[in-house]
Amino acid sequence: MNKLIITASISLALIALGGCTNKSVVRYGDATAVETTNINFGSTDLQKVASQMTDSLLLSPVVGTLTANTRPILFVESIKNKTSEHIDTESITDSISTKLLRSGKFRFVDMARVAAVREQLEFQQNSGMVDASKAIAFGQQVGAQYMLYGNLASIVKSNKDKSDVYYKFTLRLMDLQSGLVEWADETEIRKTKEKEFVSW
Amino acid sequence: MHNFFHKTSLLLVVIPLLSGCSASLFTDLFSNYSQQMSGVKQAQQQGNFQQAISLIPKRSSNNGSYSLGLLEKARLEYLANNNKQSRQDFAQTYQLVQQSQQGAKIELSRGFENIAAVMSNDNAIRYDIPLYEQSMLHSYQALNYLTQQDLSGALVEVRRANLVQESALKANANSIYASQQSSIAKGFSMDSLSEQYPSMSRAIGKVKNGFQNAYTFYLSGLLYEAANQKNDAYIDYKKALEIYPDNRYLQQDVWRLANTLRMTNDISLFRKSFSREITKKSANASNNNQGQVVFIIENGIVGAKQQSSLSLPIYTSHDDMRFYSIALPSYQNQLSVYSPLSLTYQGKSYQAEEIVRLQSLAAKQLQDQLPIIVTRQIVRILAKEEMRQKLTKKGGDVGNILANLYNIASEKADTRSWSTLPDSIHILRLNLSPGTHTLNIHLNGVSQQIDLSINQNKLTLVTLTTIGTYVGKSIFNL
Repeated sequence: MNKLIITASISLALIALGGCTNKSVVRYGDATAVETTNINFGSTDLQKVASQMTDSLLLSPVVGTLTANTRPILFVESIKNKTSEHIDTESITDSISTKLLRSGKFRFVDMARVAAVREQLEFQQNSGMVDASKAIAFGQQVGAQYMLYGNLASIVKSNKDKSDVYYKFTLRLMDLQSGLVEWADETEIRKTKEKEFVSW
Repeated sequence: MHNFFHKTSLLLVVIPLLSGCSASLFTDLFSNYSQQMSGVKQAQQQGNFQQAISLIPKRSSNNGSYSLGLLEKARLEYLANNNKQSRQDFAQTYQLVQQSQQGAKIELSRGFENIAAVMSNDNAIRYDIPLYEQSMLHSYQALNYLTQQDLSGALVEVRRANLVQESALKANANSIYASQQSSIAKGFSMDSLSEQYPSMSRAIGKVKNGFQNAYTFYLSGLLYEAANQKNDAYIDYKKALEIYPDNRYLQQDVWRLANTLRMTNDISLFRKSFSREITKKSANASNNNQGQVVFIIENGIVGAKQQSSLSLPIYTSHDDMRFYSIALPSYQNQLSVYSPLSLTYQGKSYQAEEIVRLQSLAAKQLQDQLPIIVTRQIVRILAKEEMRQKLTKKGGDVGNILANLYNIASEKADTRSWSTLPDSIHILRLNLSPGTHTLNIHLNGVSQQIDLSINQNKLTLVTLTTIGTYVGKSIFNL
């Protein structure tokens, strides 16, 4: 009887301790699989936004006429983050510009790397290490004709049963010469999370 | 006797089991949070922030007060100008807050914490960060982002702070009424408590609720203005003005933006309520290509919760009334007085005005929670009394003495709160011509000079912190 109680209580304590130390497992997964770890902005939202926007841009008749004989030069301004989450909006514009480049209809200038380019050109011109006849001169780059810019806004609501997030992503293409907005579209995402009833 | 020791040994196994994954610090059983933090606050008072950080009691991540420890650390890192570390710690705290908000409706671990709390004291319960502390978390986080010239990151924090204040407004109305009802059901009325419980009316002052923080609204207004979102800024300035209607700097800002945005209805309303001195300035006067400087001054450290013991009449299950002594948290019923920052510019003198009194918010928060705390306390007394009677029956005098000793030693009030926050925050705002300026400011009985560079139509934000004789400052060009 005595021993039974002691062994029972020790085994109970061991189980409880074991519950706190789980082994971790590393696995590879599908990068495009739907991810629902939590309600925050995630990879699925990013992919959805980027693919819908590029599809809409490439299929729009206005862009069809723009790209009929030439490959217009674009630059991506920035996506303004107006949500209540810290979202890397550069990653969204990277996805969009990569997809557009892949389509072969557009060309891009990258404003984020201007400083690095300037440094390299200065090195070629002034360091004395580069063959002067082959060094790239300043003032030969081509300017962008169109600007791509947008907003990411969100509305967050929650009560004791569920939380709800609504994202609206707007993207616009502006002709820099005339200032006209040639194309615009928006994507909406709604996510709701119902709370579990019981958990540890 | 033999059987009795079996039962106690079982009990000794069961109690750690109950606390299990939500392990509480052993010291939490026999000393309260204010006592544990006194060394930290002393070091903070002397301006030794690194030493203060090292003195924070170390807690594991499954401890109920882990998030509170992070808050204290993040605040001290902010004071020590380690903004990166501070940002990380605040971000981790925010994640914990999110987790508990989005968690299941019934969390079993909380149930076990509550059982552990019945056997020991309220410090075993998970610390839920109150809303005014959450709004301060986001305010500091916004400033942390500003130190990295990341205005859009700071604006994200501002929006989070607004979400906190919004949800607070909705959630609060019902809960206070409900908790009062539940304490009546437990055979105890709040009236007998109010006779003995130390009054906090002076500490609370004119504060109407414990969650609306005018400073957070003002800071978000400032940042919106810096991002040229004037309409958003106007809304937040107006919300701050609702809380502090007499603050002249708030009146000025609201008046200025109302004119810029042509809010004709509001203008005619404000013309009646504001003094002539403010309304005589037309919209054009503020638009004369000057730059603006805003001072945000944090004064002192918020007071710690104290433990006060009182004896209350409670009806036991046998319907006889007995007096039990219980420990409850309270705040000292007084507010410190700080001399506001003053400066003279072009022959005119300016004085900073209060925008939030965190001590009052903390006291109000505690007052609102008191019915719940007392209810839990009564449940605990009855449980401990039951245990004492059982032990007396089984273990005789030894059991009785042991139980009494345990009950007295473990009876500790829950004095947890974010105790490294400032006590009060003041603001001062004035227009300056573009260029560099040297301003003479008088703060905390000491005069000092501040060099500022003002850009046309831009904001320059100066944050000053005075704690004891320590004065810290940082300048942001927004």
